[in-house]
Amino acid sequence: MQKPDADREAIIKLLEHGGVTESNVRQISEQTGVPEADIWGTGSFYHLIDSDEHHGPRARVCNGLTCRMFGADELAEQLQSEGRAVQRISCLGQCDLAPALLDEEMKLDTRAPHKTSVTPDDSDLPINLGGQRDLSYAMLAKAKQMDPAAVIEQIKVSGLQGRGGAGFPAHFKWSAVRQQAESERYMICNADEAEPGTFKDRETMLRRPHRMLEGLAIAATVIETNQIYIYIRGEYVNEYAALVQAVEDAAEPLAEFDIHIVQGHGAYICGEETALLESLEGKRGMPRLKPPYPIEYGFRGKPSLIHNVETIACVPAIIDRGGDWFRELGKTEAGAKLYCISGHIEKPGVYELPLGVTLDELVDAAGGYVGTPFAFSPGGASSGFLPIKFRDLPLDYRNLSEAGSMMGSSGVVVLNDTVDIVDAAAWQLEFFENESCGQCAPCRIGTQYLRRQVDKYIQIGDPATLEMTDDVGWEMEEGSICGLGMVAAKPLESAREHFPEAFKNRPAL
Amino acid sequence: MNQPNQNYPIVDTFTVEINGTTCNALPGETVFTVAKRHGIEIPTLCHDERLAPVGACRVCLVEVEGQRRMQPGCAWVVTPNMKITTESSRIEKHRTILYSMYMADHQLDDDGLPIPTHNNNELRDLCKTITPLQLESVEAPRDARPADDNPYIEFNPDLCILCARCTRYCDEVEAVNAITLANRGGETTIATAGQRSLIETSCELCGGCIDTCPTGALIEKKAPKDLVQLSTQTTRTTCNFCGVGCQMDLHVHNDRLVKITSPEPGETLNDGNLCIKGRFAYDFVHHEDRISEPLIRGEDGKLHPATWDEAIELTANRLLDVKQKHGADSLGFISSSRCTGEENYLMQKLSRAAFGTNNIHQCAAT
Repeated sequence: MQKPDADREAIIKLLEHGGVTESNVRQISEQTGVPEADIWGTGSFYHLIDSDEHHGPRARVCNGLTCRMFGADELAEQLQSEGRAVQRISCLGQCDLAPALLDEEMKLDTRAPHKTSVTPDDSDLPINLGGQRDLSYAMLAKAKQMDPAAVIEQIKVSGLQGRGGAGFPAHFKWSAVRQQAESERYMICNADEAEPGTFKDRETMLRRPHRMLEGLAIAATVIETNQIYIYIRGEYVNEYAALVQAVEDAAEPLAEFDIHIVQGHGAYICGEETALLESLEGKRGMPRLKPPYPIEYGFRGKPSLIHNVETIACVPAIIDRGGDWFRELGKTEAGAKLYCISGHIEKPGVYELPLGVTLDELVDAAGGYVGTPFAFSPGGASSGFLPIKFRDLPLDYRNLSEAGSMMGSSGVVVLNDTVDIVDAAAWQLEFFENESCGQCAPCRIGTQYLRRQVDKYIQIGDPATLEMTDDVGWEMEEGSICGLGMVAAKPLESAREHFPEAFKNRPAL
Repeated sequence: MNQPNQNYPIVDTFTVEINGTTCNALPGETVFTVAKRHGIEIPTLCHDERLAPVGACRVCLVEVEGQRRMQPGCAWVVTPNMKITTESSRIEKHRTILYSMYMADHQLDDDGLPIPTHNNNELRDLCKTITPLQLESVEAPRDARPADDNPYIEFNPDLCILCARCTRYCDEVEAVNAITLANRGGETTIATAGQRSLIETSCELCGGCIDTCPTGALIEKKAPKDLVQLSTQTTRTTCNFCGVGCQMDLHVHNDRLVKITSPEPGETLNDGNLCIKGRFAYDFVHHEDRISEPLIRGEDGKLHPATWDEAIELTANRLLDVKQKHGADSLGFISSSRCTGEENYLMQKLSRAAFGTNNIHQCAAT
């Protein structure tokens, strides 16, 4: 039984040293008062924690879409042939530097010939990745002078939608948390960026950490808390260091806030906000049933405002220039947007552009296509694939949704005709299979089923292997608890819909 | 006058509509609870009313007016005038595909159905209600605990649906936390810390995990392997290992006791629970050394069968002899922890009133 004063929140961090072994788990149990089995079950959920299967120094090679397009499989084989232990990680968030790996010391090692490109310094951009460091925190001071309702009004006018993927209007959540009777509240930043194709929060944390911290401080002020938690994925080692440094540098303007930076331990699902909360509480990252929503029942069961890095980093500029200004930056929907782009284009990187640019406009900013493009994935694995004929479609929440895809995390990956769409779909299915938390049957069984059937199709080329995948995909979308399961069939469904020829017959391997 | 009784606060009841039928409901109740009370059955695998609902098996999804997605009946809290549908073409499609998916992740018999076990298999019952899709097995890599040499509880991962009733029971009802969900995705399994034998964990071997398991993935190791094919008779009795009075059902085949289970939760005072003794300690019943009648040692130094009257009379006379010779306080009476409160009372009455000594004790009263 868990002791009443057990320190459950500490256990995942403690497992970093020694991993999930009997003796280590026993020791942590004695230290924290959490039952051994609970520690074992929690630790074994997270793939960065040492286990029987993966332990000791090892190179972690990215298994994401772009990295596989650029030879991650060959890289892994090569490292193994050199006698190095290799663990494949679903996505390292370095798609612009594909193929990526973290070496045995968790240092980023990329083989790409280029560096990340970002939009050059332009003070008319809300996040402005190329901008100079600003430690004034003037917008925090300004927001403090304002009536909280007036701050929320500016957020509302700005039309700011959640940039993590859901696109939920931000101001709703701010108001809802403020309205809670409970005064113990939490401001939480979701920096668990792990969607294949996505690395915008990475660049924001590296280049503009103070925008993010200032946004968090403003939002925390509005919801009347001084407790700020930042949950950053464990693979983002440099970004973690950048945040720690930024918090130190801004110690004075942020003096009134308790800022906790919590590292994840290798689980994409912890980007789902309730799984993130579970993980913060020292549990397996399994999404909660909703309702209740985090605005009411969040971290430690208290009202919590959770925002993605990009969303919150837009806030200081909105306070500075006003909601109207921000809204007008958009082309088809409100605001500017960080678009990540990788794959077969000249200059992969993060571009801050009007929300609603087309693929062609985005690729223009990124130096043009490489080869003959034939498909793209507009918003991470969850958005599936679209054929290149959608190159003029505004990349926004509404248009992509109507096209049967989604804005998602706006991690755009361009595929030219050297890529086999069936392979690409199989890679994305493998991603979801590896990252399903396993809690609910539609997702746990469905992700395994789809991946196996596509693999089989690749092996024997018989379309009959895919006969039941539509039904299974339907149930995954209808029956899963959280968004992962709901979209996990998307890569296959969209590939079959838009590229039916590729799924009709195929030479057996 | 007419003041509300403070011990029973008045709660406003309200009505909801389930499949067009008006149902009374209380604040905080779930769709599942209200439906059940009104005779509307919603299938479920992961729900046990002793546990907090988790909505993980997805079997109980229903339609709630105004909700785009189907919602788990076990966890969805009703509000006044809520309209709920538990049977529709969408729900039927959902159940058909979901059950078929479970079958692709489950050990099947020759008929292609989830195999029956002597601890039932509710998934099998559900699958009989549909025409399943023929999905190839996913062969999920769920670990077993092959080295677990505990004598009572067996785990078969091929029958496990990861509903986590066992782990939640172990945590929420027993507060023992010996088992856990471990790993993730298709590798998720039920594990102990270090995959140790249950004996080497905090497990008390109460076997409650077996009782709550809906698919027979957890079964009694001691029961005959072919028990599912054997006809058994069930007898309700009271456990006599202690004075609590737990009710239990003895499963008997050919006059042999082959398994003991608890009555359903909510039926008896033990609420579906038994302890290690009640559930597993029945080997003595058929043991050759078991004494089944009073024995009196004769002049020849050997034990001879006797009637109860003879045995009691002998004992009473010998005790009275001792009292006469050495006084009442030379006697002492110790009753057993297996006695009920009433039996303990009678024992002290015997000691104090019949023999006249206060030397009375109960073995568990130290």
